[in-house]
Amino acid sequence: MQDPVVLARAIPGCEGLERTGPDEYRMKMKMALASLSGAFEGKVRITEQTRPSSFRLVVEGTGRVGFVKGDGVLKLAAAGEGTEVSYEGDAQVGGTMAAVGQRLIDGTAKMMIKKFFDKLAAEAAS
Amino acid sequence: MATTITKTETLVGKRIRRREDPRLITGTATYVEDIQLPGMHYAAIVRSPHGAAKIRSIDTKAAAAAPGVAAVFTGKDTEKVGPVPCGASLPDLRVPHHYILAIDRVYFVGHPVAVVVATDRYLARDAADLIEIDYEVLQAVADPEKALAPGAPAVHPEWPDNTAFNYHQEGGDIDKAFAEADVVVKQRITSQRLVPNAMETRGVVAEWRGADRQLNLYTSTQIPHLVRTLVAGMLGLEENRMRVIAPEVGGGFGSKLNVYAEEALMGFVSMKIGKPVKWIESRRENFLTTIHGRGHVDYYEVAAKKDGTILGIKLKIIQDLGAYHQLLTPAIPTLSVLMMPGIYRARNIRADIVGVFTNCVPTDAYRGAGRPEATHGIERMVDILADEIGMDPVEIRRKNFVTNEEFPYPTATGLIYDSGNYAAPLDKAIGIVDYAKVRQEQAEARKQGRLLGVGLSTYGEICAMGPSPATPAGGWESATVKIEPSGKVTVMTGSCHHGQGEETTFAQIAADELGVDIDDILVVRGDTAIVQYGIGTFGSRGTAIGGTALYFALQDLKAKVKVFGAMLLESDDVSFSGGQVICNKTGKTKALAEVAGASYRAMKLPPNTEPGLLATHFWEPPNFTFPFGAHIVLTEVHKDTGNITIRRYIAVDDCGNIINPLIVDGQVHGGVAQGLGQALWEQAVYDDNGQLITGEYMDYTMPRAHMMPWIENDHTITPTNVNPLGVKGVGEAGTIGCSPAVVNSVVDALSHLGVRHIDMPLTPEKIWKLANAGGNN
Repeated sequence: MQDPVVLARAIPGCEGLERTGPDEYRMKMKMALASLSGAFEGKVRITEQTRPSSFRLVVEGTGRVGFVKGDGVLKLAAAGEGTEVSYEGDAQVGGTMAAVGQRLIDGTAKMMIKKFFDKLAAEAAS
Repeated sequence: MATTITKTETLVGKRIRRREDPRLITGTATYVEDIQLPGMHYAAIVRSPHGAAKIRSIDTKAAAAAPGVAAVFTGKDTEKVGPVPCGASLPDLRVPHHYILAIDRVYFVGHPVAVVVATDRYLARDAADLIEIDYEVLQAVADPEKALAPGAPAVHPEWPDNTAFNYHQEGGDIDKAFAEADVVVKQRITSQRLVPNAMETRGVVAEWRGADRQLNLYTSTQIPHLVRTLVAGMLGLEENRMRVIAPEVGGGFGSKLNVYAEEALMGFVSMKIGKPVKWIESRRENFLTTIHGRGHVDYYEVAAKKDGTILGIKLKIIQDLGAYHQLLTPAIPTLSVLMMPGIYRARNIRADIVGVFTNCVPTDAYRGAGRPEATHGIERMVDILADEIGMDPVEIRRKNFVTNEEFPYPTATGLIYDSGNYAAPLDKAIGIVDYAKVRQEQAEARKQGRLLGVGLSTYGEICAMGPSPATPAGGWESATVKIEPSGKVTVMTGSCHHGQGEETTFAQIAADELGVDIDDILVVRGDTAIVQYGIGTFGSRGTAIGGTALYFALQDLKAKVKVFGAMLLESDDVSFSGGQVICNKTGKTKALAEVAGASYRAMKLPPNTEPGLLATHFWEPPNFTFPFGAHIVLTEVHKDTGNITIRRYIAVDDCGNIINPLIVDGQVHGGVAQGLGQALWEQAVYDDNGQLITGEYMDYTMPRAHMMPWIENDHTITPTNVNPLGVKGVGEAGTIGCSPAVVNSVVDALSHLGVRHIDMPLTPEKIWKLANAGGNN
């Protein structure tokens, strides 16, 4: 789950993920929210590693249409044959995205998270 | 002898269609955006996406090298331009230095940081995206009550308590009033932040003519002369080297009663690049960076006798100022204090205002400016008091009205109400609605489980701003009237109307005084190179002050017309009426055009008389005016959806004498639309990070045509003696009278469920919860 190649494939809109240090990556991604779309450049950091049960993922991106910040804890727990992954966290958006896309942010965030985990599950299965 | 037809029909008081409307409704008017100049460049402004942040660095290299880019400027370049001015003064007011571009810190989302100038607006916009700004994001605070809490982030680090000012005012003996009270009612009442939403956003075209040392600035403003004085000062340019033109202005509602950073910035840019430059605010920028209105949290306490007699009012206002003071920001809540007693005989008051900095765009004047807040407060409190003592809302109002014999009436807040007959509009409105019958209907509907509400407000307001000692920049207005050699009449007014219809009403006044056809009169405004000087249009002052200046200029001019006419008629006994000078002895006449021609040709001049027919008058009003009225609103609350239907809207307004009833009704309609907007739909919301999350029409509900009720307009007429026209002003009355009547009506519909107050806007969610669970919110 912390393999940059796998993450790059799983993060929706990700156009590049490059390791810049231990547990630190530079990321380029594209995102669309209602009538807004744009490229973001940002950082992904993995902290508070408690192998194998949890880690914290901090994502920061800025682009022409504003900025996004996400901070979440992913928990992994054995569940029968497989692993149950749960997450909890906050996302913050600012700039034009916040002003004009407010109503859609929750839905878009949920959709992106779902895509991320679906893709991850598919990666794990393959 | 001339065979001119004597004009006897008078126009003042008639429902005359607005002369300005054809060009407005056919889309042929000239706004700032329509100004095209050779060599025009276009500006795009880079703005902060953060509520609070330090600027670590700005990299403009890529933008400067982008196609079509002529220049890029940041705060370092504009540091020496004077600060965006605050015209209001209060004791110990803290005034942050408001640079036109941020220097090393941003204070609200939308704060301008850099400007890109290019040969094409799209190239400018694209290049703006190439500017890289490294921010160190800081914790913002957007809620005024949270900003006052200990430990809150400091908006301006030099003032950690986020307090811009404390203001205190007292009248009478408030402690005695509360000690003698049988009953005291208390309520927290908010008046939410609103986006003024003029149909035309702001826009500026600056044209520096270096060889002439002349800066022409086209800007969408309500106050061109004040913009000239203040922006020339900011740029260090001699005032007489600057010309400000407000072409057609597509609405202001107070949001263009201001001097904005972009006005000076475009002047700066044009002077630097030696080319004309245009900036047109986008709608998104308008939401973020043009001033907002209201932003009050009010704590009311009203002391009264068992019989409903109001003894005293205590009010604490927490005013959300935003990050800076714009032109009048801190003064707006002081207007609320002035009007806190409403039209009631409340002899004892105590008011405290805390002006609070937040990481939001500044608040300032928006239709009503301080008075809607005050009226909403007192009209809600009167209803709450009536509910507490079991008295009818109509009766409690009658009991406390200032009576006709008491005018001129000195208020506990230091004003003198000019004239009034407060029961008259109430009686009329009650008659129109048939009050006893609607109360009966309401009782019957309630038995069937239907929620009908009856709400009223009997508002009073302060207009015709105002006597100069009470205003920051002079409170007079000016007019020049020129009769051209052909007899055509040009009126130049310092009032800068932008939708108020003064091209029609001023022409009506002039047509009647001079006895000429209305089509012979041209009303010119909004150009500092043509109009002598002026204060501008705001605070329902256009007709009451600007119209009065015009009236006096016309009197001076008529006197001169008579002198020339007497000379031509070789008579010392003449009168002037119907556009003709008449010899009272022989009955011989000279038409105005003949007199005018003779006055310019000047073959012969009357003794001690200059050639030409021109008169200018600057009129200083001795007092404000105080219009009033009664609005009654019948609502039905739909329990299943929380929706509110306005069944009837009755507006009886008294604005003194009426020049044009069609325009007065139109002003009331527009005012009510904005009052309904606040009461039911609109609110500007910032999240805890200072992000404006209602930044477009999908998230900010404006009143639309299909959401408007039919408004049943009527009037009573109580002239003022403050000006010879007897007019008071009506630009803001609709807004001021509306919101409390609507909220009172909805609270009334839910009162049997224990609801006593609901804060605006009355969204379906809020109402559904109350209608289905009961209790207060």
